[in-house]
Amino acid sequence: MMKISLDPRTKIFMIFAVSFIVMVNAVTPLEWGIRIIITLIPIILMITEGKFASAFRFSVLYAAALLLLKFFISSESTGFISAILVGYCGIVAQFMPAMITAWYVIRTTKIGEFMSAMQKMHVPDGISVSLAVVMRFFPTIKEEYGSVCDAMKMRGITFGGGKVTKMIEYRMIPLLFSCVSIGEELSSAAVTRGLGAPVKRTSAYELRMKSSDLIMISIFMICVILFISAKYFG
Amino acid sequence: MNDNKLKAKDFITVGIFTALLFVVEFACGILGFIHPYIVASYVVMIPLVGSIPMMLFYTKIEKFGMITIMSVLLAIIMFVTGMGWLGAPLIIAAGVIADLIAKKGDYKSFKLISISHGIFCLWVCANYFPVIVTAESYRKSLIDGGYSAEYCENLFRAINSKTIAALLVLCFIFGVIGAYVGKSIVKKHFEKAGIV
Repeated sequence: MMKISLDPRTKIFMIFAVSFIVMVNAVTPLEWGIRIIITLIPIILMITEGKFASAFRFSVLYAAALLLLKFFISSESTGFISAILVGYCGIVAQFMPAMITAWYVIRTTKIGEFMSAMQKMHVPDGISVSLAVVMRFFPTIKEEYGSVCDAMKMRGITFGGGKVTKMIEYRMIPLLFSCVSIGEELSSAAVTRGLGAPVKRTSAYELRMKSSDLIMISIFMICVILFISAKYFG
Repeated sequence: MNDNKLKAKDFITVGIFTALLFVVEFACGILGFIHPYIVASYVVMIPLVGSIPMMLFYTKIEKFGMITIMSVLLAIIMFVTGMGWLGAPLIIAAGVIADLIAKKGDYKSFKLISISHGIFCLWVCANYFPVIVTAESYRKSLIDGGYSAEYCENLFRAINSKTIAALLVLCFIFGVIGAYVGKSIVKKHFEKAGIV
């Protein structure tokens, strides 16, 4: 399988373009078309990176939401089940493109690449380091949360006795404990690698804009321009 | 070297707690799709639940800038997840003011920390901005986008230019209350364990 590796800067541009389009609701078929295109591109990119399972999962979810929205739900529907369905479809159809793109970017960008791209764009160290940690940390939180739940299951605690405060406390506190200690390890690892040293750091990754980057950027540019013109100029 | 400068360790702490806070926000946010009144009650839920990581975060702050960076990150995340940029100035402004207030007490005085947390929580209200500023077109776009008319009715009854003042005040109050709740939880669990 041909592997298309994009420059992190292209990926950041993709995120911005997608979240811009996602923010405005689509009404006409052309606008929906653009939305579907910008959703498909990250999915195809995922497939080229060999992440078949998640590409499949995302496309099934998105397609289900779109179909439900198109055929089963109108503005007249009321009631509890339809409220949940509307909620599900609304959240998926509206924000899924942004989620898919963000997921793709987080999963396929190495932290080193990301930092070196940020450095090239002259983003202050504070923002880029913290952002890199945030990016890196979501999967960790998910993992830790899974272990917390496992531990609770093992001791026979399922819902914290039905009390909301206990439910939150039982999950939050162990999660915080492990996150804090992971943070400590992370920062000592980072300092060992020279993060925070008062010199300009070099990077192992040579970043260059390739032709695939330019093609991606122009596709998204065209999508954004088409979307804006369709939305505001008729 | 200047001692007041933020170091790599501080940046990493900011990143971790921002991620935690966002997870709390996201978990509460999903509930909002059940009923629009829950959307309005974010101002109660998020400050209360989010106060636990935030209070732990406050114990780790020693220098100016950490809360500011956190608010910038939140603004970026809100934009990326499709909330729009209308709220971004409010989020960052709340972060800077909260930072200044907490700095006054040298990040030690609990009274000032609780006020600072109240102001920081105003970032929750920033998510309502698109609803208020562009009320008419937003309503239309929601209905076109597949939301039921009933949902929209309720959403706009709960959040409009009249109730936003009340929501802001509520947000602040529950931020302050949350500070006390979070403080007691941090004391109960973390101080005994010797982490703080």
